[in-house]
Amino acid sequence: MPHAPEPALELTGVGHDYRRDGRRGATVPALDGIDLSLDAGEHLVVVGPSGSGKSTLLRLVAGFHRPTRGTVSVNGRPVRGPGPDRGVVFQRPTLFPWMTVRGNVEFGLRMAGLARAERRALAEHQLALVGLADAAHLRTYELSGGMRQRVAIARALAPDPGIVLMDEPFGALDALTRERMQEEVRSLWLLTGKTLLSITHDVGEAVRLGTRIVVLSARPGRIVLDEVSDLPRAGEPGTHPDFTATRDRIAHAVRAAAR
Amino acid sequence: MSVLAPDRPSAEAPAPESGGIAPAVRSFGLRALSVGGFLLVWWAVARAEVWPPVILPGPGAVWDQAVATSTQGYSGHTLQEHLGVSLRRILVGSVLGTVGGVLLGLVIGLVPVARAVLGPFVTFVRTLPPLAYLSLLVIWFGIGEEPKIWLLVIASLPPVAVATADAVRGVAPDHLNAARSLGARPWHLPVWIVLPHSLPEIMTGVRIAVGVAYTSVVAAETVNGVPGIGGMIREAQRYNQTDVVILGLIVIGLSGLLLDWLLQTLDRTVAPWRGRE
Repeated sequence: MPHAPEPALELTGVGHDYRRDGRRGATVPALDGIDLSLDAGEHLVVVGPSGSGKSTLLRLVAGFHRPTRGTVSVNGRPVRGPGPDRGVVFQRPTLFPWMTVRGNVEFGLRMAGLARAERRALAEHQLALVGLADAAHLRTYELSGGMRQRVAIARALAPDPGIVLMDEPFGALDALTRERMQEEVRSLWLLTGKTLLSITHDVGEAVRLGTRIVVLSARPGRIVLDEVSDLPRAGEPGTHPDFTATRDRIAHAVRAAAR
Repeated sequence: MSVLAPDRPSAEAPAPESGGIAPAVRSFGLRALSVGGFLLVWWAVARAEVWPPVILPGPGAVWDQAVATSTQGYSGHTLQEHLGVSLRRILVGSVLGTVGGVLLGLVIGLVPVARAVLGPFVTFVRTLPPLAYLSLLVIWFGIGEEPKIWLLVIASLPPVAVATADAVRGVAPDHLNAARSLGARPWHLPVWIVLPHSLPEIMTGVRIAVGVAYTSVVAAETVNGVPGIGGMIREAQRYNQTDVVILGLIVIGLSGLLLDWLLQTLDRTVAPWRGRE
């Protein structure tokens, strides 16, 4: 077996403690002993009970926090802060309401120093990918929840990051919109071949979208299950004969982890 | 209830084509009615001569003064000139106060040390009535245009500074995180994220500041205030020209309403997402 190239994302011995408010020096452990290595093009979905440090894991990779222990590196370089090589889609869309939809999608391109015409063309392309070509001139507060998340995805993809991080991106959406968005993310992933790391508490979503599924235990979050799945590459993962069995197995692990 | 239903649409809801206009007409009618009623009571009380005209002149006398001051002038300047000079002072004073207030608020909101050092001064100055520091400004700057502008700058700066500082500290961390993840460098954040994010609150501060400047301009014009609407009132008071005093009050009130309406419109244009995020 040839030696694998540098992993797109690598966590070694990562642990993170939060300072507890009020008490000097008191800390709450959120994550502990996380070893994880992700290859380019994988879609890793992290599932776990609430309080298992899923979001903490994502925020460490995004560079919003420094890990208390261990190292996080992207393409072999340690993470020192947020950067355009890691696009982030937040649970609550953090779109900038003082900009139009187009302005939001162009923001990262503007920061990268692209010329106006280039920005416009790329933003238009990204908006078309998420089905919002006609919404470019709208203000973000004029959009529905699902549309906002689509803009957030287009905005995160526009600067062409190596990895896209999604923190329960559909958590605040209704069931129907949610299902449609899952399908769209799956086709975007198939289309762009991006490395994805997403967080969810919805096991069905994890199995439909993840080529790799990691289950975290309750606080402090530790990896209790790490498995590879090929379902997302199938035509319709939800109808695949293995779908139910995989989902039940993951759900069982999550339930066990919550105890 | 259902028996009444057939009648109600025609009685309560107007025909669709006039649906958008009717409430506006009614609201305008109510306002006209209240102003008209007030003028009528004023006229009747003045007419009854409960008090002599030097205490309470009638609306007619005030109207005559309005015509006289706008055509022949008062204290060597027409009413428009008096108002124009006052408005110019308000504009210059509150624009400078707003610019200073936004900068000061940014520094106070973004730099913890600055908040500790400057915060108490801003609060202190904010509690001072402008008339109290006018004397000091006159000693420092004389009786020309300078002390008046300075007074308005000092009066309008703190509300904007406080509003900006609060708004800046209220910026959602994930807005900053999102910007950083999109490639923004730390020094991009104040201009690209913090300032626009704070615009609605800053606009509220500006409205308060202009209001404060408006109420302070009369104070600023108590010393050598002619031309100026406050100077005009002051001058009329010295000669017991009550009708001119009342005219001055009405002009200040009406132009204040107009100014606030303009600021509200500006607010809607500059920060249309207010309350809709």
